[in-house]
Amino acid sequence: MSPDTIVFSARKIVTMNPSRPLATHVAVREGRIVAVGSFEEICGTSRIEVDTRFSEKILLPGFVEGHSHIMEGMMWSLPYVGAGDRRSPEGRLVKGLPDIDAIVARLRQAEAAMTDPSAALFAWGFDPLHIGGRSLTRRHLDQVSKTRPIMVIHASFHISNVNSLLLEQAGLDRTANISGVAMDADGEPTGELQGIAARFRVFRVLGKNPLSGDLTAEAVDRYAASACVQGVTTITDLHNDLAEQTIEIYRAASRRPDFSVRLVPALASVSHTPEAGIAKLEALRPTNNDKLHYGIVKLVVDGSIQGFTARLRWPGYHNGAPNGLWYIAPDDLPRIVEAYHRAGVQLHIHTNGDEATEVALDAIEAAQTKMPRPDHRHTLQHCQMADAALFRRMKALGVCVNLFANHLYYWGDSHYDLTMGPERASRLDATGTAQRIGVPYAIHSDAPVTPLNPLFTAWCAVNRISSGGRVLGRATEAISVEQALAAITIGPAYTLKLDHVIGSIEVGKFADFAVLDADPLECAPEKLRDIPVWGTVVGGRVRQAPRA
Amino acid sequence: MTAALPAAVPVTVIGGFLGAGKTTFLNHLLRTGNARYAVLVNDFGAINIDADLIARHDGATMTLTNGCVCCSIGGDFIETLGKVLDQQTPFDHIIIEASGVGDPWRIAEIALVEPSLRLSAVVVIADASRIESLLADPRVGDTVRNQFDRCDVVLLSKTDLVDSATIDAARTVIGRLRDGISISEVSDLTISDISALSRQKPAGRFRADAAPAAGASHEREFQRWFYQRQSSFDRARLEQALLELPSQLLRLKGPCRLAGENQTFVLQMADGSWSLTRAEAGKFSGRPGIMLVGIATAELKSAGLEIILDGALATSIDAQTDA
Repeated sequence: MSPDTIVFSARKIVTMNPSRPLATHVAVREGRIVAVGSFEEICGTSRIEVDTRFSEKILLPGFVEGHSHIMEGMMWSLPYVGAGDRRSPEGRLVKGLPDIDAIVARLRQAEAAMTDPSAALFAWGFDPLHIGGRSLTRRHLDQVSKTRPIMVIHASFHISNVNSLLLEQAGLDRTANISGVAMDADGEPTGELQGIAARFRVFRVLGKNPLSGDLTAEAVDRYAASACVQGVTTITDLHNDLAEQTIEIYRAASRRPDFSVRLVPALASVSHTPEAGIAKLEALRPTNNDKLHYGIVKLVVDGSIQGFTARLRWPGYHNGAPNGLWYIAPDDLPRIVEAYHRAGVQLHIHTNGDEATEVALDAIEAAQTKMPRPDHRHTLQHCQMADAALFRRMKALGVCVNLFANHLYYWGDSHYDLTMGPERASRLDATGTAQRIGVPYAIHSDAPVTPLNPLFTAWCAVNRISSGGRVLGRATEAISVEQALAAITIGPAYTLKLDHVIGSIEVGKFADFAVLDADPLECAPEKLRDIPVWGTVVGGRVRQAPRA
Repeated sequence: MTAALPAAVPVTVIGGFLGAGKTTFLNHLLRTGNARYAVLVNDFGAINIDADLIARHDGATMTLTNGCVCCSIGGDFIETLGKVLDQQTPFDHIIIEASGVGDPWRIAEIALVEPSLRLSAVVVIADASRIESLLADPRVGDTVRNQFDRCDVVLLSKTDLVDSATIDAARTVIGRLRDGISISEVSDLTISDISALSRQKPAGRFRADAAPAAGASHEREFQRWFYQRQSSFDRARLEQALLELPSQLLRLKGPCRLAGENQTFVLQMADGSWSLTRAEAGKFSGRPGIMLVGIATAELKSAGLEIILDGALATSIDAQTDA
């Protein structure tokens, strides 16, 4: 072994390499793995010093979050008011808020800390479904402040609640007869706003939009810090216009030696024609480095299931709600898919409802028929309602899938009661079907929509239990802990076409590890989400997660 | 007689399913525009303007020699429209192309809540050769139907490619969705003034050379009607009264006082949609409390209107609490 090699010892190394599944020592040189095995195999003949700081830890391949957004890094500059616990980029456990009083209290605390008396207070993460359907009204927010505008953005990012002052400034009163201004029994606005018109008016008055403000280097660092806290060493930013400023910030961050995550941005197709998108990626690809990987494109075909904007096949929504929205016309999708497919660009296609999934598969099949491309790995994202027949089509077409396992916990009850009904809800995010049929799959959080935390996501896929305690199709769709660990490591690496360099602990790959305090293969499956993450190793650089 | 109202820029939203001919229509409008239009489009690449008409072209914005500006909506509609409103010289008219799968009414609502804008019309373009089959399509039928729900004018495109029976069938299926809606053919329009396609339908401004379809309202005679009172409206009763106004009253607009409010409001009503916005402070000081002007079809009996609106006036007791 050459002297610049470091050998880490661990209580156990779970490699996710099937030809060498377990080890105790891993040797690292120039950011890559030189050897994996036992002490004797690696150090037997040389007198190399072993780094023993992980000797009581468990090493896994660094987790790969195959579907999340840089918004996670942007949101943490604002107070969080959701119902579930989350960990901040500083490693602080931010307790979930169980009721309106607790939300008002946290907002008051945030308000008191603000120095500019006229600045707007923004908060994020609220979802009435998670606090028993109780809504947050302007009266509640008026208890926080009557002198500064307040806007609470829902977990869905499509709805918000504002205080009376902001309503007044925006001129949204009882006469605002547009669809996105909710009214109470007395005909006065409740403060709940949605839709483009209300949003336009409010952001016009505020003079800024916290959801599309310019990206900052600090937000990117927060994103990397959150990744470290959760054991993530490769993270996506799965829908980005890739404006010049963003490209520059990503370039600068990824070239810093201490930047502790590999970033995979996906170009948002909506902001470009396919011709412009292809040209942009061709220009960006040569600027890739070990920690920045351009090349994939994101298409969004429909909306969300719990927002009733996903496109469902017959018989539609369980509660009879009208079918959802197309974000790309089914007639137009084949043209876009074919253009990128011909150019050799890998597509990540958002389809929540099964009608959208069917239309996406039709488009891929047409492109593959016109121009067969081996190993295209086009990936369906979310794909929450696919049945076995759709999974068989994925298999036949060489399509991968990234399933939204966190939905089982966060909206499983809503899907059972309102959107899908018992039978379809039980095969929500059908990891078992994907496993049986042999469709390459991963599982994801869609952070910041749900918390970034791959071990929690794995827990969801293993236990299939809702926040209300309902078990959804565990007998047929649950996967084993081993399979779930693959679905947060080598599985997503495969869907990103990076499985040759990340996703397992294997000679030649980047030395990217998740460092855990307990062994997921030995703990009870229902305790998987409780395993503490010590930190990460990215390209051989050790980073202990902050614990605030 | 009518007071000068704050100049709100009229907005027209152009809807219609993918391939309906929205871009062709917008290209025509940009080339022949006789006022300073801002046109917001989805697919910038499809805008086809002769090079000698282009004064400046900088990525997402094209400035034409006739004063019109065409902007690419790109990824952020809110930002794009905001930039248009921030222009130092206001545009004469803003035209927004809705997405082919979007509901144009959702965008039109912006003009109902943004004080610097007013809604001129929602125009939906329908491909005469495809609209019948699109409406029956199991995947997109509901999307296409929704686009007609709140539109003011329908324009049939590609009528030169089909026979008259197909055009009649297209008119019939659209008429079934929206009984009495104005349907014209794009190819027959000689307009280059987008405000002619208005939900207000004022007399003589809409010019279509085609023989109007039976029931089309745009060739009717119109009348102007004034309503003036020294008092103020009760807000709840006014809202009720606005719902009761006959459909022959196409538009009602002007300053009014509301009981319990110190400021003057501006009422704007067109085609059953209405808004009340606060007037600029001092704008109508020293004038009567209510001064509305209406535009109605010739059939309207104005006496009935006065009874409805007088019923919405604040009583003397209301008026005292005003002070």
